Amino acid sequence: MTASQKLLVRKTMAHAFMICFLVLILVPFVMVVSASFRQGNFAPSRLIPDKVSLDHWKYVFGIPYQEVVNPATGETRLIKPSTPPLFWFWNSIKVSFIASAGIIFLSGSAAYAFARLRFRFKSITLRGLLILQMFPMVLSLVAFYVILDFAGQYFRWIGLNTHSGLIMVYLGGISNYIWMIKGYFETIPPSMEESARIDGASQFQTLTRILIPISLPIFAVVFILSFISYMSEYPVASVVLQSGDNWTLAVGANSFLYEQEKLWGRFAALAVLSGVPITVVFLMCQRFVIGGLTSGGVKE
Amino acid sequence: MSEGAVEIKNLVKTYVDDRGRPTFTAVKNISLHIEDGEFMVLVGPSGCGKSTTLRMVAGLEKISSGTISIGGRVVNEMEPKDRGIAMVFQNYALYPHMTLYNNMAFGLQLAKKSKDFISETVGRTSKALGLDHMLERKPHALSGGQRQRVALGRAIVRSPKVFLFDEPLSNLDAKMRVQMRSEISKLHAQLGSTMIYVTHDQVEAMTMGDRICVMRDGNIMQVADPLTLYRQPDNLFVAGFIGSPPMNLIKGKVQKRDGGLFFVETAEKNGLTIPLQGRLESLAGKYVDKDIVFGVRPEHLSDQVKDSGHIPVVSTVEISEPMGSESLVYLKSGTGNMIARIHGEHLFHLGEQVTVQINLDKVSLFDAATENVIR
Repeated sequence: MTASQKLLVRKTMAHAFMICFLVLILVPFVMVVSASFRQGNFAPSRLIPDKVSLDHWKYVFGIPYQEVVNPATGETRLIKPSTPPLFWFWNSIKVSFIASAGIIFLSGSAAYAFARLRFRFKSITLRGLLILQMFPMVLSLVAFYVILDFAGQYFRWIGLNTHSGLIMVYLGGISNYIWMIKGYFETIPPSMEESARIDGASQFQTLTRILIPISLPIFAVVFILSFISYMSEYPVASVVLQSGDNWTLAVGANSFLYEQEKLWGRFAALAVLSGVPITVVFLMCQRFVIGGLTSGGVKE
Repeated sequence: MSEGAVEIKNLVKTYVDDRGRPTFTAVKNISLHIEDGEFMVLVGPSGCGKSTTLRMVAGLEKISSGTISIGGRVVNEMEPKDRGIAMVFQNYALYPHMTLYNNMAFGLQLAKKSKDFISETVGRTSKALGLDHMLERKPHALSGGQRQRVALGRAIVRSPKVFLFDEPLSNLDAKMRVQMRSEISKLHAQLGSTMIYVTHDQVEAMTMGDRICVMRDGNIMQVADPLTLYRQPDNLFVAGFIGSPPMNLIKGKVQKRDGGLFFVETAEKNGLTIPLQGRLESLAGKYVDKDIVFGVRPEHLSDQVKDSGHIPVVSTVEISEPMGSESLVYLKSGTGNMIARIHGEHLFHLGEQVTVQINLDKVSLFDAATENVIR
């Protein structure tokens, strides 16, 4: 075999491998999209639906439609969701957005303290956070329930079945974000802030005018990650939120999967829809996630 | 007191850990007076406390004890911006997300100066530094030398009474360093402000400083103008630190022979024996049979027969480095090498026997126990 033939074989094999990989990733996604356009609520069997219908999408957007009940007689009934799934969609966006913004604020300021200030028990606290994040949030589910139940007796807005209560619980999951942002802050040379101090900037001005603009990429990344995780978070939301009009998307979508009847079509439509805000947030944040923002300020 | 004078009194810096326990004392009770308009260089090996001292003057580091006054006012508890100082950092420390203009204007903007004043000041300064055509660029589009010039400009626009430089040239390449060195010297001549300049490079220290403060392990070893420092080092450390190649320092004893005093190198064989005459005789009088260190600069060893005051020493050439106008010749002594800087175009051969003349007028003797010069 000549060298060029060898190269060709290598290229072919590499491409074959990548195509297999793509198929592995894309097939489930295509199946879900196709299930959302298929008539009837069945688990997806074929990639291309034999009968295309917009019923599930109509349902998701809360548009009433006629569903065939008995194919033999052609009998139909009017379907209209009691709570439009779009409502859940909006709840999810609201909760995820506020929780993510809160997380940026909390973990950013905590990370600043850990990266720059000196105080007692700093290393113990940091290690504690690291250990804490090893336990998933679900483990404290019972505690969250009791705490929110208790708090709700005194402050209605923070109790069970409220979005603010759910956001409060979500804000607790900041320890890994603190570590991420702290790591980024530590790559920023302290002399930059010292220089700002000499220029007359207060600690707050140094933070807002020097440190935060330089740290936009990491804040964008943290925002994307937390937004995605809260858009799809199920266990906590399902325990905290009880009434249907308060549900988030994940809880709502799960309600289509009854033990006796699994409404895969509606579920699929809702699942595809939930990807939209994530994509939008990703595109919005992407322009901040650029390398080399800190380059040039100092000589490494 | 004039407004740019800096007075450091009994300054101590002790670092503490998170629990407030002392871990390391970087600056040990130093006192230093810097005149208004003086170019003072703090020089020493890394870890000698020079940067820490500068950072305490800047207000970036808390003072453990002692006082620092600038222009007659004690500034211990004053914020950096109120001290009338500006600082240039080793790594430039520019704001990477701002244009050059904003980098230089940042301090003035924070001080709420008028827009016209800011653009006038920044414009003038950038022109003087040759940066006026790139004010809209960001730091990453600049070369190292340009970046350091921006950092310099940022310091100048604040029109400080005291400029602080923390090894500003160590990140530049050799050529750029020489150029910036003369630019900073020129700047000093133009502005007439006090400048405190920290470096580990003794060449920078010698060429730039009005006075030089040599530090080691948190202590000041000697403060003097460059030539005094070179000619009359107070102690072994300064003698060895200043000058390139450094002063020849030979360990030995003072011995009395035939009624005269001799310096005898401590060595197993081939130790040098040098008669101590005139000035040296009276200096060494108290050190008979005691350890001293004999110090002589390479250029005070010559191959030409001179008048009195020179003592011939016969030795073997170990290495010779001809550099054109002069040669550095490493001569064998009992324990090591003695470097001679011989002027003129010569070629010395390895193993060659040469007779060099030591200029006894220029010799320094040090007490081996205290490491201080014998006066």
